[in-house]
Amino acid sequence: MTVVDRPPTGREGRPQASRAGVVGEIAARRRADLERELDGVTIADLRRQARRASAPRPFAEVLAAPGLHLVAEVKRASPSAGRIAPIDDPAVRARAYTAGGAAAISVLCEPHWFGARPGDLEAVRSAVSVPVLAKEFVVDRRQLPLLRARGADAVLLLAVLHPRRRLAALAAEALDLGLEPLVEAHDARELEAALATSARVVGINNRDLRTLEVDLDRAAELRGLVPEDRIAIAESGVRDETTIRRWRAIGYDAGLVGETLVRSADPTAVVRAMVAAGREPSDPANRGARPFVKICGVTDEAGALAAVRAGADAIGFNLVPGTPRELSVGEATALGRLVRSAARVDTRPRIVLVTVDRAIEELLPLAAGVGADALQLSGDEPVSTVVALAGAGLETWKVVHVRPDEQPQPVVDAVRGYLDAGASHVLLDATGGPFPGGTGRRLPGDLVAAVAREVPIVLAGGLDPASVGPAVRSAAIVGVDVASGVERPPIAGERRRKDPLRVGLFSKRAHAARVDRPVLVARPTLVHPGLLEADEAGRWGVDREFGGRYVPETLVAALGELESAWTGIRRDPAFWTELRELLETFAGRPTPLYRADGLAGDALAIAREWDPRPTPVAPDRLRVYLKREDLAHTGAHKVNNAVGQALLTRRLGKERVIAETGAGQHGVATATACALLGLPCVVYMGAEDIERQAPNVARMRNLGAEVVSVTSGTATLKDAVNEAMRDWVTNVATTHYVLGSAMGPHPYPTIVRDLQRRIGDEAAVQLAEVEGRLPDLVLACVGGGSNAIGLLSRFIGEPSVRLALAEAAGEGIETGRHAAALLGGTPGILHGARSLMLQDGDGQVVEAVSLSAGLDYPGVGPQIAALYAAGRVEVEAATDREAVGAVDWLTRAEGIIPALETGHAFAVLPRLLAGVDGARVPRPGAPAWPREMVVLVGLSGRGDKDLDSIERWRARGS
Amino acid sequence: MSADAATVVAPVAGAPTDATAGAGRIREAFRRADADGRAAFIPYVVAGYPDAGGALEAALATIDAGADVLEVGLPYSDPLADGPTLQRANRAALRAGATLEASIRLVERIAAARPAIPIVPMGYANQLIGGGEGRERAERLVDAGASGVIVADLTPDEGAPFESVAADAGLAVVYLVAPTTPPARRATIAARSGGFLYCVSLVGVTGARRTLDPSIRRLVRDVRAVSPVPVAVGFGVSRPAHVRALAAAGADGVVVASALVDVLGSDGRDLRSLGRLVTSLAAATRR
Repeated sequence: MTVVDRPPTGREGRPQASRAGVVGEIAARRRADLERELDGVTIADLRRQARRASAPRPFAEVLAAPGLHLVAEVKRASPSAGRIAPIDDPAVRARAYTAGGAAAISVLCEPHWFGARPGDLEAVRSAVSVPVLAKEFVVDRRQLPLLRARGADAVLLLAVLHPRRRLAALAAEALDLGLEPLVEAHDARELEAALATSARVVGINNRDLRTLEVDLDRAAELRGLVPEDRIAIAESGVRDETTIRRWRAIGYDAGLVGETLVRSADPTAVVRAMVAAGREPSDPANRGARPFVKICGVTDEAGALAAVRAGADAIGFNLVPGTPRELSVGEATALGRLVRSAARVDTRPRIVLVTVDRAIEELLPLAAGVGADALQLSGDEPVSTVVALAGAGLETWKVVHVRPDEQPQPVVDAVRGYLDAGASHVLLDATGGPFPGGTGRRLPGDLVAAVAREVPIVLAGGLDPASVGPAVRSAAIVGVDVASGVERPPIAGERRRKDPLRVGLFSKRAHAARVDRPVLVARPTLVHPGLLEADEAGRWGVDREFGGRYVPETLVAALGELESAWTGIRRDPAFWTELRELLETFAGRPTPLYRADGLAGDALAIAREWDPRPTPVAPDRLRVYLKREDLAHTGAHKVNNAVGQALLTRRLGKERVIAETGAGQHGVATATACALLGLPCVVYMGAEDIERQAPNVARMRNLGAEVVSVTSGTATLKDAVNEAMRDWVTNVATTHYVLGSAMGPHPYPTIVRDLQRRIGDEAAVQLAEVEGRLPDLVLACVGGGSNAIGLLSRFIGEPSVRLALAEAAGEGIETGRHAAALLGGTPGILHGARSLMLQDGDGQVVEAVSLSAGLDYPGVGPQIAALYAAGRVEVEAATDREAVGAVDWLTRAEGIIPALETGHAFAVLPRLLAGVDGARVPRPGAPAWPREMVVLVGLSGRGDKDLDSIERWRARGS
Repeated sequence: MSADAATVVAPVAGAPTDATAGAGRIREAFRRADADGRAAFIPYVVAGYPDAGGALEAALATIDAGADVLEVGLPYSDPLADGPTLQRANRAALRAGATLEASIRLVERIAAARPAIPIVPMGYANQLIGGGEGRERAERLVDAGASGVIVADLTPDEGAPFESVAADAGLAVVYLVAPTTPPARRATIAARSGGFLYCVSLVGVTGARRTLDPSIRRLVRDVRAVSPVPVAVGFGVSRPAHVRALAAAGADGVVVASALVDVLGSDGRDLRSLGRLVTSLAAATRR
């Protein structure tokens, strides 16, 4: 191979000549080339050639589509790697990339260091149908038309090579030619220069082109400095799809991958895997947090199609006379028809007609005539208009105009008034603009957040692609509406037109804003904040009376470290992306939601026998859904927390894991997660539990964990926690304690809840897909509370949802031999937190009694105690006998052997149904329970592990 | 929130319990030892171990062999800061019928028999505070003659309400610092501690160790430099050589617990060996 006429500079023989280093050398050589090649050629000649070239393919628009896209690179060599591959036909290589789904091809155009040959660019451009990026060292403005003439759709501009003003001029010139400039930076200074240009696409290169050093954290560090209305591309350092996934998580629109692909024997397969890793996740938990996007005031076909392509959830056509986006009825009808034909049936945006203060008699025929899905009332229409329209079966949206200085409460009242009248959505917009139906002004963030906490609102006014992401993240709004923020610059006297790129970016940024950020609140939460989150001291409850951190001083620093690490992780989508990927591919999430009709019929029959009053629930109207955590890897929900905390251990830089276990499920899950991540693991288990749960002990040992038998105290779960705490006190510098339940000192209750809330987040979306609504009742069993809080969290702030828990009554609460910390406990301090617990008058912990090892614990997590104390959950208890009976019942009725823990939930289910007669309502004035009832039960784990102990229990004749 | 911010103790309203009468008695005991050229010696007995009578005998024998302050462990079902020795003694005491009231009556008897020696019970948060603020417990302890109290799982982060009721009752709340306590936090804890400050010598649970952690010298020096109250070192201290080393390092007091329970033997009644060990440990406090 002779194309590389100068030996590439390897890592060792790196020249340190000028400040511009290697890139400076390359640029100088390029200048010399051009003097020869373009001697006497004027820019006007080249522009003429460029105009004759085929139309540019949209580079930026392609990257503005949802997810992270792959820009795959063709090159033969590089200064850092030397010769990579002798690519004879770059077209073949490029086609291999596009076959795998590459969104664009990058073609190296530099001959000396990168081995480019004349004709490479043209060959690739004609071989593929995707945009082509010319990876050139642009040192002369004449290169821009030259590259466009050769077919380039986009061009690389290196910030390091140019003073600011020239960089900006080059970017502007490229845009003028229809050549999309990608301005690349490696550090904050270069990035500032890049952002000062008009370039729409900005690249962050992990590689310093002066020294060729790669800093893999660079892309992550600089992403936050790129405003969200630019398209951001990360470059260099990709070895596999892990990096791609991380880049997607932190908000990159594209990744540029070269060497790894060029070296690959099967580039199509590698590209395919990376493209898959770059897709926006669509698991139920993420879908549930997604705001909807309405693109309003669309005036032409290009705008309508851009909205459809962008995945907008609604499109607004403005029929308000005299406004800059006014459409005639005929135009709106035609555009509506276009939307219907262009969109897939299942993802078609709703068509919304925007009107102001029209008469009801006028509105009904209008909606029917245009074929709209909904009417939006953007004027001063009274509640009665909404009542009339909704009563006529028309989906009605109402805009509420708000002064920026208004207090939240009147706004909440106004919104609630329209919602109660039947409005499907209420949009919040600022008053005071020149036209009705949209002012283009932003409302204050505090006001929006305060209102959004109380009522579901769609935020309108003043949003654009740069601001929509932060707006969605900072308030629990359910949707966003945009008009002027996604338009081309207005031209006087002309109707406003949408900018397809801005429409695409707006929708992408809004939809992605809460992805893999499970902590962000996505909807109103109508309860005291103390029931939802701990305060700074780790206290829960209306009076912040539960939780805290009662630990020996030795542990305080470690808990502080854990708290600050977790505070960071909670808002770090890269962590949650990695965890979700593991849970999906390794642990079997999302777990299914199963409708248990056999169980429902039986439960109702039992309930009716108990309660001779006519039951309001007809058999075909009771639907019981089981959230199948028993199908998660290791057979219980515990794996969600264990994998999460194993990843956390790695983040903390600790090298050893300890855990406690009762039934053995948390021990097995932790041992599994540690085997997965290569961490040594010690599990403390009460001697009595080791005997009760032999199969799980064997599993832990097979997984490589050391199981330590705890004989102190009562030799059960609480003593295993004590022993784990003693180990942690001793080895706190090297060890992370993976606590298995949503209990313990702050921040453990928060950590475990955050990791388990996926159960309920998934279930809510899965249920909405089949029922179209929230459940009426959510039921879980409770011991320490990780399964319970995991299922309940999503529903705590939903006043229409009744929450119920089943505790272990053991031999009966009245016998004093039980594990019911809520119904039979008192306030006290156990295992680092104040909560409800079983104790005597001296504060001695009283032994819990339950056949179920997982519930055999004398305490309960502080958030659960707070929910109970505030009356937000109902609590029932089931005895050992009842729980065993319920296990048998479910096994025969449905073919599912549930864990004994879960059996307690099924045992109390009929009791909760018997209460359904309108007497139990969660807040005064709420409507009586509907005749139709949807119940969600957490099936926390599988029951194989319990069969032996149930047999022994029967044999004892208990 | 930074790691530091998460572990800095919030300022508290109300006077720390160092101004109480109980704290005064404890500080007076430290002053007497110091004037005598010694570090204060603080032995420990478990109330109700091996039974109510045995515990009183052990306490009096300990005091008579040379104690400046006496720590009395309140037996607890879940002593998670304690190693095997004290876990065993706690369990045995509870099995022998120890109740909180019986333990407090022991304090009462010791105080009546040896009024010059300040008594500092040590227990766990759920025994002393539980679901409330601990007012009744603090008052009862003071009535029984206790001067201060150590709560193994209570730090100043959570201690303000209890300090307030203890201050009302006249009881000193003794806090602990550990080798893992960041320097800035040591000073804040010391400023909130009443009577003295308990400096945990090692990263771990209670229990006799063969050797002292070599870093303890420096820890003692650093903690003393920021503490307005005397600093007593405990955890792992079991031999006269340990005591001598700590006294030489500048500790104002030395706490010995598990070693004394160990020396009582499997039946918990070997008072003669206990007396010998206490005598030799107390002698080692001389600087």
